[in-house]
Amino acid sequence: MPTSTDKIFSEFKEHSVAEFFKKNKQMLGFSGKTRSLTTIVHEYVTNSLDACEEAGILAQITVKIEEVDKEKYRVTTEDNGPGIPKKHIGKALGQMLAGTKFHRYMQQRGQQGIGASGCTMYAQITTGKPVKATSFYDKKMISCEVAVDLKTNSAILTNVVEQDTDGSKSGLVVEGEFADVKYDKSSFGVFEYMKRTAMANPHAQFTLIEPTGESVTFPRTVAEIPKKAHSVLPHPLGISTNDLLDLAHRDTDSTKISVFLQNKFSRISAARVKELRDALPAVDFEKAPKDITWSDAEALVKAFTSVKWIAPETDSVIPIGKEQIEKSLQSILAPQFLSVTERPVKIYKGGVPFAVEVAIAYGGHAGRQLADKFTSDVMRFANRVPLLFDNSGCAISEAVKEVDWKRYNIKNFDEEPITLFINLASVYVPYTSAGKQAISSEEDVFAEIKYAVMEAARDLQRYLSGITRDRDKKERRKAVLRYVGQLSKDVVELAGSGKSADVEKKLMNLIETKYSTQIEEDESEIDAPKENGNGKEEDEGEE
Amino acid sequence: MAKRSETSSKDAFAKLEGLGKGMISEIDGGETPKFSCSLRSKGNVFYDESVGYIRLGDKVEERKFVNVGQARKFMQTVAIANKCKKFLSEGAHTSIRGLFYQLKFSLGEDLDEELFSEQSESNPLIEDLEVALELKREDLNLNTDRKGVVAGPLVLKDKFGGDETEIDCTKQGRSGWMIPSDVDNGMDFVDVDADYVLVVEKDAMWQRLNEDKFWRKENCVLITPKGQASRGCRRLIKRLANKKLPIYVFTDCDAWGWYIYWAIKTGSMNLAYLANDIATPEARFIGVTMQDIKDYDFLGQLTIRAKDVDIKRAEEMLSYEWISRHKEWVNELKTVLTTKKKIEQDALQGPRLSFVGEYLREKISKKKFLP
Repeated sequence: MPTSTDKIFSEFKEHSVAEFFKKNKQMLGFSGKTRSLTTIVHEYVTNSLDACEEAGILAQITVKIEEVDKEKYRVTTEDNGPGIPKKHIGKALGQMLAGTKFHRYMQQRGQQGIGASGCTMYAQITTGKPVKATSFYDKKMISCEVAVDLKTNSAILTNVVEQDTDGSKSGLVVEGEFADVKYDKSSFGVFEYMKRTAMANPHAQFTLIEPTGESVTFPRTVAEIPKKAHSVLPHPLGISTNDLLDLAHRDTDSTKISVFLQNKFSRISAARVKELRDALPAVDFEKAPKDITWSDAEALVKAFTSVKWIAPETDSVIPIGKEQIEKSLQSILAPQFLSVTERPVKIYKGGVPFAVEVAIAYGGHAGRQLADKFTSDVMRFANRVPLLFDNSGCAISEAVKEVDWKRYNIKNFDEEPITLFINLASVYVPYTSAGKQAISSEEDVFAEIKYAVMEAARDLQRYLSGITRDRDKKERRKAVLRYVGQLSKDVVELAGSGKSADVEKKLMNLIETKYSTQIEEDESEIDAPKENGNGKEEDEGEE
Repeated sequence: MAKRSETSSKDAFAKLEGLGKGMISEIDGGETPKFSCSLRSKGNVFYDESVGYIRLGDKVEERKFVNVGQARKFMQTVAIANKCKKFLSEGAHTSIRGLFYQLKFSLGEDLDEELFSEQSESNPLIEDLEVALELKREDLNLNTDRKGVVAGPLVLKDKFGGDETEIDCTKQGRSGWMIPSDVDNGMDFVDVDADYVLVVEKDAMWQRLNEDKFWRKENCVLITPKGQASRGCRRLIKRLANKKLPIYVFTDCDAWGWYIYWAIKTGSMNLAYLANDIATPEARFIGVTMQDIKDYDFLGQLTIRAKDVDIKRAEEMLSYEWISRHKEWVNELKTVLTTKKKIEQDALQGPRLSFVGEYLREKISKKKFLP
């Protein structure tokens, strides 16, 4: 699904994107005080992770949050990435849609490139201050202040200082002051965001310094940088009219639509183009791609569905990995039990490859503890990015809800110390909205999530029933043992013979033997006489 | 079922000790201690036409200690048995509530649990012991509250508390002799020189007949259970029936009263395990009946409205096969359901106080009974 943001931005490009953002910031995650702060941290952390991965560096990211005033915080993000050369600092931090990521078709974290510049703008709007950046890049340290010129969507750099260094340090530090934001430890807050990001990125180390001065580190558990995603051409199935239009308008290399189709899509051959031509006599395949109309695009997308295509390549999907998830969850949750599924890549809408990874953790720090009660925790991720908001409309939450947990001997899923970790990896994540916090209920995606969760639940069930058996046996033994003392005394007195110490010992042996063997005899309760409709006898000697 | 009516406390003592000895030998043999007792649940209770009362079937259940579902109850049962053995050797009696308090103590400092914490726990286990040992609780020196009064030509010898007293039920004045909970142990019939036994539901009616010296004029034993008959009262009626005395029952004309008769006659489901000792199938019903309303004109004026409980009980009784097999009773019960009326036995005093006597004499001489 194309995001409506894409469309909006393409329409507004000629005007001021920055001006537009200012009016529509809530669409991009800047709504609500807690959420705004989480969004800011998310933008910086995502940029850092991407930069490190591209440069082949094992990321180490520190986020520091300081309270400057009521609902006003200073956020400092520091990474050990490659840094940014001076000429790109402005673009990276002070110009909307200037990122390199926007027009590529590959699996990645953020897809819009509005991130860090959006934060700069948010700082400007709420505190009137620019952000400070310090970049260590190629034996140079550049520090400066960056602001966005809201009218022209260009960066304004001030107080630029440049120094030579010995090149031993690289990385980027960004510091900004933001108001109308709030730090709290709710499930929407920065702490939870960092924790979850660490879970999904075991190759990176994260440190969060909270406003109280406390510092939490989520250590790196995997010393291997994730495989680099490569750009792939979109498959004709799974493209939207809007995307097709967009791709065509952007294609300056192809001279006509027939060429554009073969160049910019995977699996479209000359033979397939001929098929399309026959099916769509009204569409002019000879005109330039930039001249394609909405109705042309619409007709093409419709025709795509009636052609037989070779399935898309699936190697563009890069899951986190079973072993990686195991290590990070083990480190962060220290659960009693952990199981991670490993499932093949699937296709939705006939053309979009995706993979679902599910981990289920039980006990330890899994779930949430509220007083003496547990509640389960469903953690949603898309391409390693935690989805903290819009829980109710999300296909992941809905799929989890649809699982019949009782079938897996989990009586009340909501009240168990369980963490469900669910990551959807895809070149094209079907978000429900521009906020990118919920996944839409594509039929294939929904079903796959549900199956994956059920697979994990089966593993947990096996583990739990093992525990129940053991505990049962122990408890049974204990339940009988506690009465040995009293019974031994009474039996000996009743019989008028024997020694109670002897009897006690023998009874204990008996019980130990019985409850250590595998064979269980019937353990039925005494069948007490029940109500028998004989009400007139209540006073028969019960006084 | 074994006959067990003449148990003495010596037998009970031996049975209790035998139960203990059996368990010790099981434990020595490396087995769980156990005992068996007839199932008292509804599925094992039935009306036995050949004997004419409700009794337990053949289903037997084994109670084991080394079994999570039963361990606590097993221990409790043995504790009750041991306590009762003490009562017997001391020759002291108590109530089942007294027993409960004797056994309500903590199982130990480290165990947050009492041997018994509610009387509702100990009561059914007493029944278990009664069934397992084929004894009545009275044989274990457990008494229930006394209920029921007797007057008439009956002389008993009562050995109790170290004394021996002769009780002549013709010399008990206006109050009569109160029937104790145990009419077997230390209780002997010296002389029973009566023609029949008359059981009247209500104490007030008993007092009326006692004042008229009805029992002397008629040479009968006059008993009132004061409502539903207690175990002791039923046992006394049974013992008198064993002396070949006819038993006649006289109650209100309503399902509630009639059921008092049936409990005396066939026993009840709750006490099916004691039926051999307390059911008196020979008992006959004198009245009051619905038919009496037709036979005695004045009664038509004296009916009162049947209560919901009467209707409900009548419906229940119709469903009991041992009642519905008698068409006379089906007629009676159906009349209650259609007319929704009842008559109290007191209504027979309508014409004059002594009319009750005349009514009874007429019924008995003409043998106008219901089965």
